[in-house]
Amino acid sequence: MIGQLILNGFINAALLAPPAVAFTILFGILKFPNFAIGAYVTVGAFAAFAVNVQLGLPIWVAVVGAMAAGAAVAWLSDALVFKPLRGHAPVTLLVVSIAVAFILEQCVRLFYGGNVRGFDLALERPMRLWGLRITKEQLEILVISAVITLLVHLLLTYTAVGKAMRATADNPGLAEVRGIPHRRIAVFTWLLCGAIFGLSGFLAGLDLVIEPHIGWNLTIPIFAAAILGGIGSAGGALLGAILVGIAEELTVLVLPTTYKVAVGFLIITILLLFRPHGLFGQAEIKK
Amino acid sequence: MSNDAPLRIEGLRAGYGQADIVHGVSLSVARAEMVTIIGPNGAGKSTLLKAAAGAVRPRPGSSVTVAGREVAGLPASEIARAGVAYVPQEANVFRSLSVRENLELGAWSDRRRIADGLARVHAIFPVLSERAGARAGLLSGGQRQMVAFAMALMLEPAVLLLDEPSAGLSPVMVDQMFEAIIAVNRTGVAILMVEQNAVQALKISNRGVVMAAGAVAATGTAADLLADRSVAELYLGAAR
Repeated sequence: MIGQLILNGFINAALLAPPAVAFTILFGILKFPNFAIGAYVTVGAFAAFAVNVQLGLPIWVAVVGAMAAGAAVAWLSDALVFKPLRGHAPVTLLVVSIAVAFILEQCVRLFYGGNVRGFDLALERPMRLWGLRITKEQLEILVISAVITLLVHLLLTYTAVGKAMRATADNPGLAEVRGIPHRRIAVFTWLLCGAIFGLSGFLAGLDLVIEPHIGWNLTIPIFAAAILGGIGSAGGALLGAILVGIAEELTVLVLPTTYKVAVGFLIITILLLFRPHGLFGQAEIKK
Repeated sequence: MSNDAPLRIEGLRAGYGQADIVHGVSLSVARAEMVTIIGPNGAGKSTLLKAAAGAVRPRPGSSVTVAGREVAGLPASEIARAGVAYVPQEANVFRSLSVRENLELGAWSDRRRIADGLARVHAIFPVLSERAGARAGLLSGGQRQMVAFAMALMLEPAVLLLDEPSAGLSPVMVDQMFEAIIAVNRTGVAILMVEQNAVQALKISNRGVVMAAGAVAATGTAADLLADRSVAELYLGAAR
């Protein structure tokens, strides 16, 4: 029982890790918590559905479609909404991002209604590994999530653009005077993170049903993972995702399944009270 | 001085919000020249450097030319690419990145020159080679200042804008920092420096500019300013 719950926790974590890493990168560059990330996930899930079910194309093309749609909608939300508000207080941008989330979600409802949907995939029996049950889709989620998270880590650590992103997150003013163009880095970050949110929508659609709330339901756990890991720390967000994913699953041992969603809120509350910089973030030192 | 001096500032006005801090300052720095700006706190010295570097947007009508090219109002990243390297007094390194990553980012505009740049700055500050993997935020204040200065040197800038390069350093480190500044200046770099350690800074400079209340109060050769009784009483204090 415990083994199965921990495995489920890792699958949950695999769904949370890429968007949590993307959220923390986006926050680092743009300095506000973007509540529209769940809507980007939803758009990705429905774009994948459109490509796979409505256009009848293979599932791997749906992955590309989800990433492209996520990147496009994230970039557009910046160009049309967030960029004109640059310089306003983070709380203003936070409130606006909630509005963006509602608008995007309602756009999805306008085209697809509120019905649940799924990809055009053959139903298969779960596999048994060391007595634990796992579906082919869940295995794919684990692999794709691990690969994406590793690629993002490599990008941030070893490429010039990744180092420039970290530099811009660390000290945007200094980055600019060192010749790193903030605007171009911001656009790249929106596209990259949007693609990751879109992919997360596809992965969530593989594991769950596709419905307009699919991203919203992941928003709080994504925030919890990023805050737990320490905002601004991509590695921390990964570990935060694993801890939140497992914690959510283990909750069912003591509470009804419906209370799983409360775990994210509980983690955020405890952290904000006792360790607001998370497990791996650095406390801000004020003179 | 010719119109295409490495740095020429004319009628520069700058400030924050509606308030002007710098009121129509004009000055220029020639190739291989070092000019030190001295003055009391709040005189607008740092704001002048920031405006020249694009970190603060100059007011309309201000002029900043780099080798004859007008750069006032351009983004700081473009001014950096024009050959101006600005070293802020504080928050002048990427604290969460390693020393080596900091230095590499100093050559962001031309990454083919990273290896050359690293060799050059390691020759000036060998300790940065030994601490290449250390996180910049964990270095001592002196080593952080070295990283900040070295980062600015990675692409052999034509103009260096230094804001309080000796701030917070031990006397030994101050001497080392000034020696490094002299060495860089001798390679032909035009240096405009703001420094509280005014006497020591003027001693290594060609010229000095005294700023008060956002305007130029006096200017002259460094030797003349050091010898000027009123400047000494008002701005150089007992340190002289």
